[in-house]
Amino acid sequence: MTYVISQGCIDLKDRACVDECPVDCIYEGPRMLYIHPDECVDCGACEPVCPVEAIAYEDDLPSESAGYLAINAEVFADLGSPGGAAGAGMMPADHPLVAAAQASA
Amino acid sequence: MTATGLPFPGLRSGVELVPTTDQPQTGKDFTSDQEVRWCPGCGDYAVLKAVQGFLPDLGLRRENIVFVSGIGCSSRFPYYLDTYGMHSIHGRAPSIATGIATAREDLSVWVVTGDGDALSIGGNHLIHALRRNVNMTILLFNNRIYGLTKGQYSPTSEAGKITKSTPMGSLDHPFNPVSLALGAEATFVARTIDSDRKHLTTVLSAAAAHRGTSLVEIYQNCPIFNDGAFDTLKGADATEQLLRLEPGVQVTAHGHTWAHDPTEPDPTWQFALSRLDTDPHTPTPIGIFRQVERPTYDDQARAQLATARQAAPGEPTDRLAALIGSGDTWMVN
Amino acid sequence: MTLPNFPAEIRAPQGTLPGVSSFQVHFADHDILTAGDAPDVLVAMNPAALRANLGDLPQGATIIVDTHDFTARNLTKAGYESNPLDLLGDANDPLGAFAVQPVDLTGMTVEAVKEFGLSRKDAARAKNMFALGLLSWMYGRPTEPTIAFLEKRFAKVEAIRDANITAFKAGWNFGETTEAFVVSYEIKPAPMAPGVYRNITGNLALAYGLVAGGVQSGLPVFLGSYPITPASDILHELSKHKAFGVTTLQAEDEIAGIGSAIGASFAGSLGVTTTSGPGIALKSEAIGLAVMTELPLVVIDVQRGGPSTGLPTKTEQADLLQAMYGRNGEAPVPIVAPQSPGDCFDAALEAARIAITYRTPVMLLSDGYLANGSEPWRIPEIVDLPKIDPAFATAEDLTEDGKFQPYARDAETLARPWAPPGIAGLEHRIGGIEKADITGNISYDPANHDLMVRTRQAKIDRIADSLPPLEVDDPSGPPGHGKAKVLVIGWGSTYGPIGAGVRRVRKAGHHVAQVHLRHLNPFPHDLGDILHRYDKVLVPEMNLGQLSLLLRGRYLIDAIGYNQINGMPLKAADLEHHILTHLTHLSEELRAN
Ligand code: SF4
Ligand code: SF4
Ligand code: SF4
Repeated sequence: MTYVISQGCIDLKDRACVDECPVDCIYEGPRMLYIHPDECVDCGACEPVCPVEAIAYEDDLPSESAGYLAINAEVFADLGSPGGAAGAGMMPADHPLVAAAQASA
Repeated sequence: MTATGLPFPGLRSGVELVPTTDQPQTGKDFTSDQEVRWCPGCGDYAVLKAVQGFLPDLGLRRENIVFVSGIGCSSRFPYYLDTYGMHSIHGRAPSIATGIATAREDLSVWVVTGDGDALSIGGNHLIHALRRNVNMTILLFNNRIYGLTKGQYSPTSEAGKITKSTPMGSLDHPFNPVSLALGAEATFVARTIDSDRKHLTTVLSAAAAHRGTSLVEIYQNCPIFNDGAFDTLKGADATEQLLRLEPGVQVTAHGHTWAHDPTEPDPTWQFALSRLDTDPHTPTPIGIFRQVERPTYDDQARAQLATARQAAPGEPTDRLAALIGSGDTWMVN
Repeated sequence: MTLPNFPAEIRAPQGTLPGVSSFQVHFADHDILTAGDAPDVLVAMNPAALRANLGDLPQGATIIVDTHDFTARNLTKAGYESNPLDLLGDANDPLGAFAVQPVDLTGMTVEAVKEFGLSRKDAARAKNMFALGLLSWMYGRPTEPTIAFLEKRFAKVEAIRDANITAFKAGWNFGETTEAFVVSYEIKPAPMAPGVYRNITGNLALAYGLVAGGVQSGLPVFLGSYPITPASDILHELSKHKAFGVTTLQAEDEIAGIGSAIGASFAGSLGVTTTSGPGIALKSEAIGLAVMTELPLVVIDVQRGGPSTGLPTKTEQADLLQAMYGRNGEAPVPIVAPQSPGDCFDAALEAARIAITYRTPVMLLSDGYLANGSEPWRIPEIVDLPKIDPAFATAEDLTEDGKFQPYARDAETLARPWAPPGIAGLEHRIGGIEKADITGNISYDPANHDLMVRTRQAKIDRIADSLPPLEVDDPSGPPGHGKAKVLVIGWGSTYGPIGAGVRRVRKAGHHVAQVHLRHLNPFPHDLGDILHRYDKVLVPEMNLGQLSLLLRGRYLIDAIGYNQINGMPLKAADLEHHILTHLTHLSEELRAN
């Protein structure tokens, strides 16, 4: 089980969630942030601080965001589990679907 | 069991008498249907996840694992694991676990406790468990505060701490749980941090593999009542602040330099190491301070039973008749 | 009870091996006409004295031996091939019928009087006074008259006077610090059933009963205990019976004692903890945990004088209400009380039966009088002992959709399943937080709590269904039609004294009935009817009226207490007087009406 970030974060990235995460598992990509599904401990600290309600528990993901469960997972396919976002730095690329997403406003 | 976490080969394993399974297990198998109810961001989540992630590596039958806890935030732990478990009363988990581990050699017994539970109300049971060396693993969640009762200082809170019960600062000198355990001559003493899953997992594996009482102090953040207590030890720039203990690592303290040896029977240098972070300018050691072999209480208790049994063959009912009929007897007609 | 100052009679050796001198001391509350015919205690200063006097001792008597003089040479001289003290406590202990207290009388006396610079011989002689001091402690005798006597007797030789007084005090202090304890149990006069008999103390019988509980249930027994007077002997005894699968853990404190026992019960053993009143106070929270988790547990309270440390070596029955109510919340616990030393065996088995069958902690209330007192006991046949079925939960107890319900209940007993770890599919979590009915999950639901509180009580009440009818001792006529108007009801160790008192009353030509309670919670179903059959109900107790309170509360009868709290057992003569007084009142009342 994991928490998931969805489309609301794209190009917003205010990083409020990052400060809350006790295990430092919210990684930054060029356009949005991603929660590492294996590293997330389901503590729920990130969810209430997101100004655009982009974060949800995987079971509570709204249907229009359902694809983001896979997106948050797939984006780490090459990276593996670095065990901490601070040390890992910015990810080289977004998930292809995110990279291709239209700018929201 | 699998070869997981045997840093010192040759020692008897803590789980060698526990039945294993060939069925592959995942963290999900160890997750109960109960909703987890700690505060958002609590360090307990990270430890729970690490334990659920690591238990499958042990390869033990789930029905042969028992988690026992006392009272406190962390003591809800057993409810979230789909093993056998008991959420007992304040401070007493080590004594209950002692009974379980002594009664049954085929169980892997775990105690989940906090700084208040283990070091205040249950201090006596903790030191005696360590002294007896009963085969069990004690996870001591140290958040340096009372969380469940909403924010009073704990026996590990720093002196002068302002809390609800100490508006002018606490007057108590804190315990260092690792020093305390070493003083009680525990056979396995380690420290780790909630946010470092890899380190946590390595230490837990070694603790489970140890035959005897293992004490693992886990620095655990309480974001509600004591947020950031261990922040200097976390994140990418904390490397300076941490001394990661490995066998053979060179350590300097109190004017001496020596190679850390957790297997050294005399705990003197291990104790010296545990005092290192009393000085805020020296790093905090994490990892295994001590792992030595000493016969366990429960193994020896069972051995005494086995010896006595061998010396007294025959049906229990016949032996009972002989016992109660012993001594001077006479007939009344 | 008031006891006058004792005279110490020094007598010539009587019927002993040549050269053995002995003197008899008789403590009594009436004029002493003879030295006591059969002594309660023998102080044997050497093997010859032991050998010579053993024949005069009744079974169950206390023997204090001076270990200092049990040398190989003295043993041979007395005709012993081996040291009988080496076999103490063994199955073939030649002194098994007695309560033997080995004490280095000479060594301790010499040490105590060394400041007076006496010769070793003179110093050692003062051991008589050491022994007298010890006996004075055991029998609760005042020390002043003896000291006054010694001051007068040895007025001329200061060193000897002081040495004797010092030795006397040292003996008394030794008794106090080691809590030396002696009682002889007053047996209810009754014809003895045929069978094989032996002497047994209450603590020994209790330990045997617990071993039997393990054998009859097929369960390993786990005792978690912290030493305390007068219960420690049970720990000592059980630690010898490892061959029966009995594990004893001497815990770091009372709480760890019960904690480890609860853990062992969870793991599938018969968990037992033994203590006295102060220990029960410490264990209360854990007993509540066992109530909540509904695990089998036998809690033994060998009562002593209270409150607080109280009188560790004196007997009392003042823990009844503590056993009944001494926990937070509604935490009902069944209570079983043995009525004589030998009966401790059956009571322990009964406690095990209830604990295992109903998945509950059971309180067994013995007391110092039973624990250390002894009586002839008819050794039971194993085939006559009850079998106890642990009826562990199995994989068959899963619901259709494969769920285990740790708080589902047996329709008859209301017991929940007992599922020790090790069975796949039965993994479950229990604890001290209120449980949801059936699932056992944490529940804060008010309606559920109401249900669970009532269910736990109902489960304990159901135990009464398994109890045999009470035996009413009333030779005055058939139930409900007898001539006796007065019923004497007691519980625990007062059985013997009450029985003796009742017999005296009957011998004087009056009618009186006696009933004695083994089960104090729940009460047997027929108790109410029995109580209502009599015009007066007398309740002798060694407390301020705890059973009286329970009977009044439950049955709305005017239970009349007879209460003695002086650390001593009730006495037949006092009870006789008390009963007769009430019989007289009753006939006056009847006449007046
Ligand atoms: S739920 Fe907790 S662990 Fe997971 S991403 Fe959010 S803050 Fe981090
Ligand atoms: S708080 Fe919300 S918007 Fe901000 S970075 Fe995190 S997920 Fe994105
Ligand atoms: S009070 Fe602190 S320790 Fe307790 S659950 Fe909340 S965050 Fe965790």
